[in-house]
Amino acid sequence: MAEFELDCLGEACPVPLMKTEKKMAGLKSGDTLIVHIDHSCAMKNVPEWARKQGHNVEVEEVGDGEWDVIIEKC
Amino acid sequence: MAKTVEHYDVVVIGGGAAGLTAGIYCGRARLKTLIIEKALVGGLATYTNEMENYPGFPEGSTGLGLMELFHRQAKKFGVQFKLTDVKAVRLEGEDKVVETFRNEFHCKAVILATGGKPRLTGAPNEDKYLYDKGISFCATCDAAANTDKTVLVIGSGDAAIEEGMFLTKFAKKVIVSVLHDEGIMDCNEIAKGEALKNPKMEFLWNTTVHEFRGGEEHLRSVALKNSKTGEILDVPVDTCFIFIGYLPNTELFRGMVDMTRGGYILTNERMETRIPGVFAAGDVREKFLRQVATAVGDGAIAGYAAEKYIAESEMFESQVMGESPRIVYVYNAASAGDRELLGAMEQYEQCRCDLKLIKADVYKSNGIAQRLNVSETPCVVYIRDGEVVGSVACDRICPENIDALRRT
Ligand SMILES: Cc1cc2nc3c(=O)[nH]c(=O)nc-3n(C[C@H](O)[C@H](O)[C@H](O)COP(=O)(O)OP(=O)(O)OC[C@H]3O[C@@H](n4cnc5c(N)ncnc54)[C@H](O)[C@@H]3O)c2cc1C
Repeated sequence: MAEFELDCLGEACPVPLMKTEKKMAGLKSGDTLIVHIDHSCAMKNVPEWARKQGHNVEVEEVGDGEWDVIIEKC
Repeated sequence: MAKTVEHYDVVVIGGGAAGLTAGIYCGRARLKTLIIEKALVGGLATYTNEMENYPGFPEGSTGLGLMELFHRQAKKFGVQFKLTDVKAVRLEGEDKVVETFRNEFHCKAVILATGGKPRLTGAPNEDKYLYDKGISFCATCDAAANTDKTVLVIGSGDAAIEEGMFLTKFAKKVIVSVLHDEGIMDCNEIAKGEALKNPKMEFLWNTTVHEFRGGEEHLRSVALKNSKTGEILDVPVDTCFIFIGYLPNTELFRGMVDMTRGGYILTNERMETRIPGVFAAGDVREKFLRQVATAVGDGAIAGYAAEKYIAESEMFESQVMGESPRIVYVYNAASAGDRELLGAMEQYEQCRCDLKLIKADVYKSNGIAQRLNVSETPCVVYIRDGEVVGSVACDRICPENIDALRRT
């Protein structure tokens, strides 16, 4: 149950989602990935994608217009 | 992975109109407040394009725009947000716990504002066309957009038939898919009679939705299956309205708070549930009208009630249940007799320097009386070492009886 991070600050859609999908594929069940984003579109499509896959998802607003999407692989 | 523990005064579950309003009231009362929302802050109202009946916006407003304003106002008062799903709750006792997959939030009061969702048919492609793409759950919202068009209504209960008849004022044709045999409907007899006479309404009996069909952008037709013959009928429509019920999001609270058979939470007019410190607000409650305006009213009451509950709990712990000997005079300020006795109680205290008098007026709030299990006023409760020793009520209140209590 390891924790990983992915820095997507400054990156616009669809880059954060593509990177997240790729990174998640390499994780084991129970592992957590924290994706740092500051693009409001990614704040919608990354959690939406992750929820559809059945992962546990939480979004935290860490600053004004900056979010952490926390995904636990199912 | 161990869950991180965080402490709040109030946790609100659900960030719709009710939850956000409750948050605004709690935040403004300087309570440390958290709203947990699993999908989009703003709730169900964000799915409606036109919001014409919420007061204060004569030009109308979009649901999303309106809820964005609620959100900003809550943030302004320091309310914190967590965007995640609540997985479990422990509501009994003073320390309440709300669990998400990473956190355990401990708090003094919980407001349940999880709303509900329209029931779906479960047929293929349904999720592709929800809301603005051809499947609607609200005739009031989408009737005008269907002027001179053909629409399909799924269901035959009161809502389906009444909304269907409303739609005939706009649409060219309203086709109704009914599950039952010809002539059998779930709605009341009057609505049924009217509907069967309505020239713009057409009924397809013994049918259920088999599949939703269309392109990427919008629904084009609905394939209905005849449950008797198995025949598939393709019905081209502009909009399909589904009225097969509404489901409150209350699975998490089942067996904890009182609910109706349909799963709606029962509260009193202070939004209190059966459990002290647990409130419910908005669509999730058993109520007459489910709208943004009424969700806002519920939220305000729940937020205010939570604040009062917490203040009273603190006051109860710090002042009522202290170590040194004390008597609590529980009275109703609206009663002349109770007021008269108040003076006598003050005198009683003055003559006994080792004793403290606490006055609890049930006219303002009966929280302290409830915590002391006092149901009628006037009543005197004697407390020593943080525990209730005994009480005397009504006619039995006199210095001798109180002295006797203090000797026990
Ligand atoms: C299509 C449509 C059109 C409408 N049009 C109008 C209109 O024009 N005017 C009007 O006044 N009303 C309208 N309404 C009704 C209005 O949307 C509701 O009355 C209002 O949204 C109720 O607010 P609420 O806060 O009680 O619940 P909701 O808005 O349903 O909010 C509840 C929130 O709780 C969240 N939640 C649920 N479970 C959990 C959980 N376990 N963890 C975390 N979060 C959770 C949900 O995601 C949701 O965001 C319409 C409704 C629909 C469906």
